[in-house]
Amino acid sequence: MSRPSAPLLVSLLSLLSGLAAGCQTEAPPPEEPLPTEPQVLSQVDCQVGPVPGEAPARLLTRSAYENSVADILGDTSHPAAAFPPENQMLGFNNNAEAHQASPLLVSEMLNAAEGIAARTVSAKLDEIAPCPTGATVECGAAFIRTVGERLFRRPLTLEEEQVFSRLFAATLATDSYANAVSVVLQAMLQSPQFLYRIESVRPKAVESAPALLGPYEMATRLSYFLTDSAPDPELLQAASSDALSTPLAVEAQVRRLLQQPRARAMVANFHGQWLGTGELGRIVREDPVLSLPANFGTLLASSLQAFTDSMFWEKGTFDSLFNSNELFLDKQLGPVFGHTPTTDGFTAFPEPEQRFGLLTQPALMVALAHPNQTAPVFRGVFVREHFLCSDVPPPPPNLNAVAPDPDPKATTRERFKQHTASATCAACHTLIDPLGFGFENYDQLGRFRTQENGLPVDSTGAMNGFAEEGLNGPFVGPKELAARISSSTSARDCLVTQWWRYAAGRSETAADLCSLAPIQQDFRQTGALPEVLVKIALSDAFRYRAPYVRNPGGAP
Amino acid sequence: MKLGRRHFLRGTAGALVALPLLDSLQVRAQMAATPRRLVLMYTPNGTIQSAWWPKNVTGPTSFDLNTTLTPLEAHKSRLTILGGVDLSVTGVGPGGPHQRGIGALFTGRELQEGKFVDGCGANAGWANGVSIDQVVATAVGASVPIKSLELAARCTQADVQARISYAGPGNPLPPMNTPLEVFNRLFANLDVPVNLAAQVIAKRKSVLDTVQEQYGILKKQVSSNDATKLERHLDLVRDLEARLTASASGGAVCAKPATPSEQDPEGEAEMPEIVRLHFEFLALAFACDLTRVGSVQISNALNRIRYPWLGSLGSGHTLSHSGDNDVAATQEVVTRHTWHAQMLAHFMDSLGAIAEGEGSALDNTLVVWCSEVSKGNLHTLVNMPFLVAGTLGGRVPGGRYMEYGAVPHSQLLLSILHAFDVPDTSFGHPDFAKGDLPGFLA
Repeated sequence: MSRPSAPLLVSLLSLLSGLAAGCQTEAPPPEEPLPTEPQVLSQVDCQVGPVPGEAPARLLTRSAYENSVADILGDTSHPAAAFPPENQMLGFNNNAEAHQASPLLVSEMLNAAEGIAARTVSAKLDEIAPCPTGATVECGAAFIRTVGERLFRRPLTLEEEQVFSRLFAATLATDSYANAVSVVLQAMLQSPQFLYRIESVRPKAVESAPALLGPYEMATRLSYFLTDSAPDPELLQAASSDALSTPLAVEAQVRRLLQQPRARAMVANFHGQWLGTGELGRIVREDPVLSLPANFGTLLASSLQAFTDSMFWEKGTFDSLFNSNELFLDKQLGPVFGHTPTTDGFTAFPEPEQRFGLLTQPALMVALAHPNQTAPVFRGVFVREHFLCSDVPPPPPNLNAVAPDPDPKATTRERFKQHTASATCAACHTLIDPLGFGFENYDQLGRFRTQENGLPVDSTGAMNGFAEEGLNGPFVGPKELAARISSSTSARDCLVTQWWRYAAGRSETAADLCSLAPIQQDFRQTGALPEVLVKIALSDAFRYRAPYVRNPGGAP
Repeated sequence: MKLGRRHFLRGTAGALVALPLLDSLQVRAQMAATPRRLVLMYTPNGTIQSAWWPKNVTGPTSFDLNTTLTPLEAHKSRLTILGGVDLSVTGVGPGGPHQRGIGALFTGRELQEGKFVDGCGANAGWANGVSIDQVVATAVGASVPIKSLELAARCTQADVQARISYAGPGNPLPPMNTPLEVFNRLFANLDVPVNLAAQVIAKRKSVLDTVQEQYGILKKQVSSNDATKLERHLDLVRDLEARLTASASGGAVCAKPATPSEQDPEGEAEMPEIVRLHFEFLALAFACDLTRVGSVQISNALNRIRYPWLGSLGSGHTLSHSGDNDVAATQEVVTRHTWHAQMLAHFMDSLGAIAEGEGSALDNTLVVWCSEVSKGNLHTLVNMPFLVAGTLGGRVPGGRYMEYGAVPHSQLLLSILHAFDVPDTSFGHPDFAKGDLPGFLA
C-alpha cells in the first residue's frame, strides 16, 4: 500500500477528531452548544516512513488455543472450556492489554495440557512421534523439532530444544516412551512460546527505526488474524524461505487464507463480538400469545450470523450490510416473524419498509431490550458506540438528584421523557434516548410494530452531538435513521476501525491512524468488505513493528 | 449440631455429602494456629434503603434487623452493620457510577483510564490497586493449595463491571461460574492414593520446571514490556508449583462431595442451585483447608437478570432504577436481597457445622458483604450497605449497628486487614487513608 500523501495529514487530523475526540471530550452542560470543532490529539507525520504502533505479546484466547491444538494435534475436545473468559476491551476479547494470565487460567492450563497430551499419545503417538526403531532419545528429538515448530510457530532454538530433550530423556529413563512424549507435550503447551504470540525479539543490531516483522512473526500475525489459529505448513514454509516480506506475497497468502473454513469462523467471531451476540445466550423472553422456541436467543444469534455471513461473503459491501431488508429465519423462528420457511437452515425473507439493514436485525433489537419492553437507552448507546465509534460522556460523579418516579403504566417513551426533563440527566441522555427512540418500531421480540398497547408507536427522534455534522438533527422513523447512519462517513470509518481493533488485538493509537486513514478513505469510496481485511494486512501498521526496546534483565 | 470425626454437610438438593475429617487434619488443625478466613460477598445494583437499615434503633447494640436481613436473625449476634461508610474514592478518576463503585469496593482505589464502556457510555479501565482479599490471602494462605477461590453466579462477562477481586493494579481475578469446574479444581484429585499422588506431583513439577526454563530462555530475548508480562505469568507458574505439595496433604485428608451435574452458568433456572453450591463448596474448601480466602459474587453491576424462582421477572438494573414510589418494583428488589441474605445465612450455618478447636469454622471466618452502589435509582456511592458477618474469634464484636456519619470506606478496609494482623498502616488511595475505622475492632 502506498504511503499517505501530504494532504492526507490534514484529513487525518479531522479523522482523528471523529474517531477519538468525540470519545474524550468532557460532558458538555446541556445548555451549551455541543462541540463541533475537531480536536487535534497529536501530530503524527505519516511521511517519515512506516509509523507502526506497539507489538505487545499476545496471550492466546480460548478459541485461538483450541483451534491451534485442533490443527496441530487433532484434539477437538474443547480443552479450553474451563479457562476463564478473556477480559474484553472495546468489545473484543483478543485485546493484548486486557487479556492476561490469572491464577485460575494457569491452573486450568495445566489441566488442559495434561488432558491434551494424554489424548494425543493414546490416539496418535505413531503420527506425532513415530519411532520404528523402538523408543529412543533420537525419536524424541525428532518429535521435539517437528511438533515444537508447529506449536512455537517457528523452529526451536538449540537451547529450547535441549531443555525439552532433557525432560524427555529423564522421563524415558524411568517411564514409557508414550509418557516421555506426553510430558514434553505438556511442557510445550504451557511454554510461553506457545501461549504468547511474541513479535519483538532481540535483533542482531540495535534498532532505531520501525522494522519489518520477521517472517515467522508475519506468518503468525496473518494466521491468527485470518483463521484464529496457528500458521499452517504452507505459511511456515513461506516463512522459512523468507517469502513474506513483500506486499505481493502477503496479499497472496491473505487471499489463500480467506478461502479456508476457519476464515469464515473468524468473520463470524468478529461479528459476534462486535455486535455483542454473546448476550443473546443469556436472554429470556416469554410472550402471552406466541409460544417462543426455548432457545430463542441462541436462534436469533444464528439468524444474525446468517445475515452478516451473507452480507460479508456474498453481497460483500457496506451498503448491503447496512441497507438490506432481508431477515434470515429458520423453521423455529419463522412463525415469530410471520414467515414460513419450508427448507432446513436459515432462509432470507425480504421485509421491505420494515427492515433497514444490520441496525434493525431482530437479534440486535432483542439483545437491546428488556424482557417485557424495549430499551431506547441500550439501543441509543449501542448505535453510538458500536456503529459510530462515538462515546457518551459519563454522568457526573456522585450524582445527587431526586430520582425520577415514572408511572409504570405509561408508554415506554413517556417514561423515558424523565431522562431529558432533568438538566443533570439530560447531559448524557439527550445523546442517547432520542436516537434510541428511532427503534421503537421494534418490540422486545424484534418484531416490527406500529402500535404499542393500542396506541400508535412514535418513532421520531434525533441524533445529537456527533462530530460529523450531517448526522445531527431530527428524523422520522427507523428508515430515515438507518439511511442517515448508512450514508455517513462515520459509520464506514467506524466499521474499518472495529476490524482494525480486532485484527491488531489492541486499541488504535495516533500512530496507527497513518495506516487506518487510507483504508478508511478507500472504504468510503468502495465499501468493499472482504477487501478491508486485505488492506489491513497490507498496511504498515500490520507489516511493521515499533523498534525493539531492550529489556533490562535480558541478554546484552 | 457440631460435627465430629465423620460428618455431613447438607449438599445438593438435600442430599447428604460425606466429608470425613481424618486424623491428620485434626492434627494439622491443632499444630498450626487456627486458620482464619475472609470471604467477600457482592450483590449488584444497590439495595432498598428502607428495607436494609436497622429499625427501632436505641443504641449500637439495641436494634431490630430490617426486612432484607431477617434470614440472618439467628446470626444477629455475629453481624456488624455499618452506616455512614462512603466510597469517597469514587470522586477520583474516570468511569460511570457502577464501574467506579465496583472497582473501589474492595480495593479502595479509583479506576484506571481505559476503554470499558458502561450502560451510559462512560469509559474506564480496571481498578488501580490490589483488593483486601488478596492481601489477606498473602498473609494467611501461603501454605494452602489454592491462594483464593473466586466464585460467581451468572457473571461470565469479563470487564470492570464484573470484577471485585484484584491481584494488583489493573490485574483483576476472574471468578469461576460453574460448580462442576469448581468441584474439579477443588476435589477431583482428593481420592488419589497418597503414593500415586506423589508420582503425579513429581511429574507435574518436572513439567513445570521445564516450563520455567523456557520462560527463562524467552525472557532474555523479548522487549521490555513483554518481559514484564512474561514475568507476571512466570510468577503464577511458580506459585502453582509451590502449592502442588500442599495439594497432596489436602488430598490425603478430604473426601469428594457428590459430583455436581453440568449446568449452564448463564441459565436462570440453574442460578439458585449454583449459588447454593458455591457457598457449600467454599465451606467444604475451608473445612479441608484447601483455601482460606474466597469471594462469592452474584452476577455483575448493571446486569439484566431475572430471579424467576422468587417470582421476580423484572430485569436487574432496570428494577433498581424504579422510582421510590413504585411499590411493586421496590418489593421485587427487596425480595432479591432477602434471598441473598438467606444464602449468606445458609453459608454461615454450613461454617457453624464444621467443628474447629473449641468452636466452629464460623468463629474463624469473616464475611464482608456490599454492593457497588447504595441506592440503585440514584447511583449513590455514599452510605454503602456494608455488612460484616462473623466475629473472627471476637476481633470484630458482633450484634452491632455502627453509625459513622460519613467516613471513607478505606478505613473499614484497613481495619479488616488489621483483623487479620496485616501490619499495613494504610490501604487504598492515599488521599482517603484516614487510619482505622474507630471501634470496629475489639
